[in-house]
Amino acid sequence: MRKIKKDTVLGYCFILPAVIYMLVFIGYPIIYNWLISMQDVTAKTLGSPVRDFIGLDNFITIFGDATFRASLVHTFVYTIGCLVFQFLFGFIFALFFTKKFSLAKPIRGFIVISWMLPVTVTALVFKFMYADNGIINTILLNLHLIKEPLGWLLDGKMAMVGLIIANSWVGIPFNMLLLTTGLNEIPAEIYEASSIDGANKIQQLFRLTIPLLKQTILSALVLGFVLTFKVFDLVYVMTGGGPVDSTEVLSTYSYKLSFQMFHFGEGAAVANVLFVCLLAVALVYLHVSSSEE
Amino acid sequence: MKKIHLKERQKSIILTILAILIACVFLFPIYWIVINSFKIDSEIFANPPTLWPRAFTLDAYKAQLRNLTVTFKNSVIIAGGSLCISLLLSVPAAYGLAKFKVKGTKVFMLVFLITQMLPASLVLTPLYLTFSKLHLLNSYLAPILSTATVSIPFVVLMLRPSFMNIPTELVEAAKIDGCNALSAFLRVVVPISKPTVVTAACFSFVFAWNDLAYSMTFNTKDAFRPMTSAIYTFMNQYGTQWNKIMAYGVLLILPCCIIFVTMQKHIVEGMTSGSVKG
Repeated sequence: MRKIKKDTVLGYCFILPAVIYMLVFIGYPIIYNWLISMQDVTAKTLGSPVRDFIGLDNFITIFGDATFRASLVHTFVYTIGCLVFQFLFGFIFALFFTKKFSLAKPIRGFIVISWMLPVTVTALVFKFMYADNGIINTILLNLHLIKEPLGWLLDGKMAMVGLIIANSWVGIPFNMLLLTTGLNEIPAEIYEASSIDGANKIQQLFRLTIPLLKQTILSALVLGFVLTFKVFDLVYVMTGGGPVDSTEVLSTYSYKLSFQMFHFGEGAAVANVLFVCLLAVALVYLHVSSSEE
Repeated sequence: MKKIHLKERQKSIILTILAILIACVFLFPIYWIVINSFKIDSEIFANPPTLWPRAFTLDAYKAQLRNLTVTFKNSVIIAGGSLCISLLLSVPAAYGLAKFKVKGTKVFMLVFLITQMLPASLVLTPLYLTFSKLHLLNSYLAPILSTATVSIPFVVLMLRPSFMNIPTELVEAAKIDGCNALSAFLRVVVPISKPTVVTAACFSFVFAWNDLAYSMTFNTKDAFRPMTSAIYTFMNQYGTQWNKIMAYGVLLILPCCIIFVTMQKHIVEGMTSGSVKG
């Protein structure tokens, strides 16, 4: 009995410092953020010890704000666009690299590097490649696919496409890895049995692989949603939300409200909308991954 | 029989060539960063673009040598500090969650899982206000403390499964030899888990190194700016000097590339176990 008790105390000594750290630097700010979002916090009132409690006024203000509503829509468009694009390519890559050929593993491992690089640099190099006379336009012109250079980041809709492509460059390897893990768990005998039964490759893909991967696919999609939905660096560096707010997303708009216009209360309110969306999806993810066990 | 074997080999060669082509196209942006940092100004937008610099030059680096060294140093300090905090807290936590039967393990895991999914933008405003009260703005400490929150949950989730695989008898044996819980952890558990702990250190370093949001918000003075926010500021001032921007880029991706190339296998394994529920 005493040993068990001693073990518990020791366990807490190992675990609690990290938990407390996270509660201080993430937990407390989350609560503080709700407070700020219900106060009148601007550059003027920032230093004063007592700030007016204004209830849901900040939320009413932002929901009445066309830029906020647009950024909410953009965030979803961006996230879903990225999910489709990176999942599809991630899946194709995963299927391709699980084939048996020499160098399959090292090459697959190598392309994962795009996930490790600073997003700031990714954003900049894509911005460079998207330039009017940049390499992408030059290649497309030389292949006679376009007649005039595309204004990748100059046109609202194209800018969104440009962002989605750049983000997928980071997301594809991640999806590929998750799906590869799932693919490797499917026993080869199942495929052998079904080819004896006369199923072709495409039938096998839709009737065997995808149903068997259901859980992995679901967690890849939900996890991808969470990781994409919170995008900040990529949008901020590549387009800064422009042209004319056409790629403004929740996180960049929250940042602008707080740190460029100094409407901290409204910035916090936008961040809280982002929080609610993420938390909802995170809970779905936890539910999915616990039913997996 | 021989014919089938030959066909298999042919197929393997074709697939390998295809894979190399895919990798070349996919990794082209990295090549483009590096190669453009060695071009002279006039060659940046040469038509047709040159895949190899006509005149190979270090001008882009030389022109901004001072800025590069100061911001590189800042990045190293911030990422190094963040790495220390992260390892000091998360390695024991992962061990505690793996090997001790403690009430609330599930709740603690949940704290790490959820905090890992939350973005910096959510806590930027409250942390900014708190740090400004504590006079921590424009210091190394603000980005160090805040970037550690990115790696701690990731490392805990990544290390826990590997600590669970350590046989409990090993720790018991160390205790019989006179170790207490802490020294058994430091002398037995950590050394045999060295590869995963080193991988965890790499991730912690890279996450802090890659951070833009925290450093940009908390440190607005040049003296404390790391490379990520310096390159962004630079871009706003000298938008089209891409060779100089890419020189920053090369120094920024260099540590990540070195870590990745030397530890590829561990990194790839850690990536999936750290981001999904272990």
